[in-house]
Amino acid sequence: MSTAVKNQLRVCFLSLKYNLMREMVNKVTFLTNVLFMVLNNASILVQWFILFALREDVGGYTLREILLLWGLTAASFGLAHILFARAFSLSELIIKGKLDSFLVQPKNVLVSVITSATDVSAIGDLLYGIALVCFCRPGVGGFFLFFLFTVTGAAVFTAFALLLGSLSFWFVRMDLLQNQMVMSAVSFATYPDGIFNGISRFLLYFIIPVGMAVWHPVHLIGRFDFGMFLTLLGYVCLLLSAAAVVFYRGLRRYAPGSLMEARL
Amino acid sequence: MDKRRDRSVAECGYPYGRAAYGMPWRKYTVIYRSVLMENLQYAANVAVGFFTYFTFIYIFIKLWGYLYRTPGELIAGYTREQMIWYVMMTEMIWFGSSAASVAREVSGDIRGGNIAYLMNRPYHYTLYVLAKYTGEWSVRLPMYAMLAVAIGAVMVGPVPGFSLAALPAMALCVVLGLTINAVFKMCVSLLSFWIEDATPFQWLYDKLILVVGTMFPVEMFPIGLQPLFKLTPIYTVCYGPAKLIVDFSPEKCVEILAAQVIYLAAGCGLMFLIYAKGVKKLYVNGG
Amino acid sequence: MQAIRVENLSKTFRVKRKEKGMRGSIQAILHPRTEEIRAVKGVSFAVEEGEMLAFIGPNGAGKSTTIKMLTGILYPDGGHVEVMGIDPTKKRRQLAYQIGTVFGQKEQLWTHLTPYDNFRFFGAIYDLSEQETEARIADLSERFALKDFVDTPVRNLSLGQRIRCEIVASLIHKPKVLFLDEPTIGLDPVVKENVRELIKQMNREEHTTVFLTSHDVGDIEKLCRRIIIVNEGHIVLDDSVEHLTHHYLDQRPADIPMHEKAAEKEAAPAISLEEIIVDIYKGKEEG
Repeated sequence: MSTAVKNQLRVCFLSLKYNLMREMVNKVTFLTNVLFMVLNNASILVQWFILFALREDVGGYTLREILLLWGLTAASFGLAHILFARAFSLSELIIKGKLDSFLVQPKNVLVSVITSATDVSAIGDLLYGIALVCFCRPGVGGFFLFFLFTVTGAAVFTAFALLLGSLSFWFVRMDLLQNQMVMSAVSFATYPDGIFNGISRFLLYFIIPVGMAVWHPVHLIGRFDFGMFLTLLGYVCLLLSAAAVVFYRGLRRYAPGSLMEARL
Repeated sequence: MDKRRDRSVAECGYPYGRAAYGMPWRKYTVIYRSVLMENLQYAANVAVGFFTYFTFIYIFIKLWGYLYRTPGELIAGYTREQMIWYVMMTEMIWFGSSAASVAREVSGDIRGGNIAYLMNRPYHYTLYVLAKYTGEWSVRLPMYAMLAVAIGAVMVGPVPGFSLAALPAMALCVVLGLTINAVFKMCVSLLSFWIEDATPFQWLYDKLILVVGTMFPVEMFPIGLQPLFKLTPIYTVCYGPAKLIVDFSPEKCVEILAAQVIYLAAGCGLMFLIYAKGVKKLYVNGG
Repeated sequence: MQAIRVENLSKTFRVKRKEKGMRGSIQAILHPRTEEIRAVKGVSFAVEEGEMLAFIGPNGAGKSTTIKMLTGILYPDGGHVEVMGIDPTKKRRQLAYQIGTVFGQKEQLWTHLTPYDNFRFFGAIYDLSEQETEARIADLSERFALKDFVDTPVRNLSLGQRIRCEIVASLIHKPKVLFLDEPTIGLDPVVKENVRELIKQMNREEHTTVFLTSHDVGDIEKLCRRIIIVNEGHIVLDDSVEHLTHHYLDQRPADIPMHEKAAEKEAAPAISLEEIIVDIYKGKEEG
């Protein structure tokens, strides 16, 4: 590992640590936030118990696979929001001109920006996801794949948010759209892919990257295929690079906050 | 208009004096109107919320499309079209009414101490918030209604046996449902007089409506639980209005409207009571 | 050696124009109209190493835009910048090791942490080892008298203590050039004096080049030998403070009769720096 990477990681680690320290100043609020997110996610299970009382499979998924899907989505989303929370509010940072302090640091701007905040309730998401997969007991290999796919899923969600957020350098009101698009991706990710067909299925695999974030991994945990696994990794790398390229292209258009806001 | 008010100030030394005596409801219409105007400007922003609404409905269309295997099949007594329209209507109520003023603003006013100024104004604080809330949903709800009708027409098909004649009764039922919802949410927010943070309770109430009330009709739940749900606000806030729209009958209409009136009366009574107690507590303890 | 070299620097912002109301919003979508704001129009100057320069001008004159182009935050549209021989647009990161920035009221410190923890964080940002950071913190807090509050969380510090910490935090990596954007804004006179002392001491002991913007004439008089005034994107004056205060009146011969001017040369300047600056700002506006 080169020194530059090591130094960058040291800053990211400190930033995460300090962010968590800030959130833990009030322990009660911290725990309530985490706990309520777990309960929040768990409450949706009511829906699936009812649907599986009706039919044995929904969109080709058994209840166990649905739990796995939910677990993976929650864990990926959680991990992304713990480590890269700022990627999901990038639009706002750009519009309000809050990138200045990152631009004067001798570090990678993109990495510094997205790791500069932590969403506490996301810890609840991650814990809930892990609890669900423990409940499913997919075996040692399954666990390993689950954690690996949690990382790739988090990368896909983050890259998607980054791509949309970076468009704020060019277009107005992307802050609203960024949020909406990411949340709708998450909504799709909590339903089985078998209920979608034709064009919508295509869109969900390639435009809103739900397919590669969670559906594909769930299939791979069920039945591993090395070729498909490599395709997934390639896709993740491609999406991350695209996000970085768009961000840096946009950064040249970065203007002071007052001017960006005047465009609204 | 300004001149007239100036004179009344000179006459009675109290800016709102006479006018308010003559028409006690006028001030609420004024509050309503001003919020309505303000919100019309944000109509464009509301449209972005369409995206999320559409996502949900789209998923449910696909979900029920998969689960219904033969045309005309009934699940829990509902056809596929009815089932999807049911979700569209409950989600329309949810999205159309979700406004910050009742929940966050009330808690904020109480905890931030703003309430001390607001409660001495010549209006009832709770009604003031309700008027604001009504102004907010008056813009949002029709927009979501239009969207729902458009999605329904293009992607689902008409509700079997829908009659336009019953529309006014349905609309009344939806409006009452929204108002009852606001009253209950207000009751929860008013708990902030006593507890540090009412958000968890707010959250519990929302979850009840969202998980139990919007996704499926009550008939989908185990039979043993169904009578219990009839006692909760679900019956009057979302299940009742949506059920009426997808499966109208005059008897059901009367039943639901009656239940709503009772709920509204009881809810308002509770709201005024909690508010009065809270204000008294504030006077005794000085906030 | 020259610390900063700027040649013909310019920056234009494109701002979308929108008429008021709904109609304007629709129009903005269909026919977006953009307006060009030329914030900086061909500015050239150089700053010697170890120099303290005041870079001033009325609000909106292009000061901040220039400083942001020098520090690598904004991309210039035209011209050339070199800071310590480095082009900010090409080697932003290398430049960052050479410069320090204190941007007015924008806080870069974490308020829930102590200055000590904050300094350690900045040490990590600039790749200092643990030992280097510790040594540097000990040295800086000794020299700049932070000992009493270096272990108190920043949120509990007074404004003056905070700004001292902000400045020291930007010195952790021994920058060659320090950019100070309104460092004394909102401080009381005693604290202002204190901060100016700190800056002077730093310039003396570390031979740091200082690029200062401020609306406070006291800052300029007490710190800077040289002054550059920008207005409407142009440099309108580049002179030493001493020369300016003593000879400003010479340049406006029409105003004052000859014999008075001769008398003034002997005595202290009859016109204060503040009056001169106001005069230049105004003169530009009239012209």
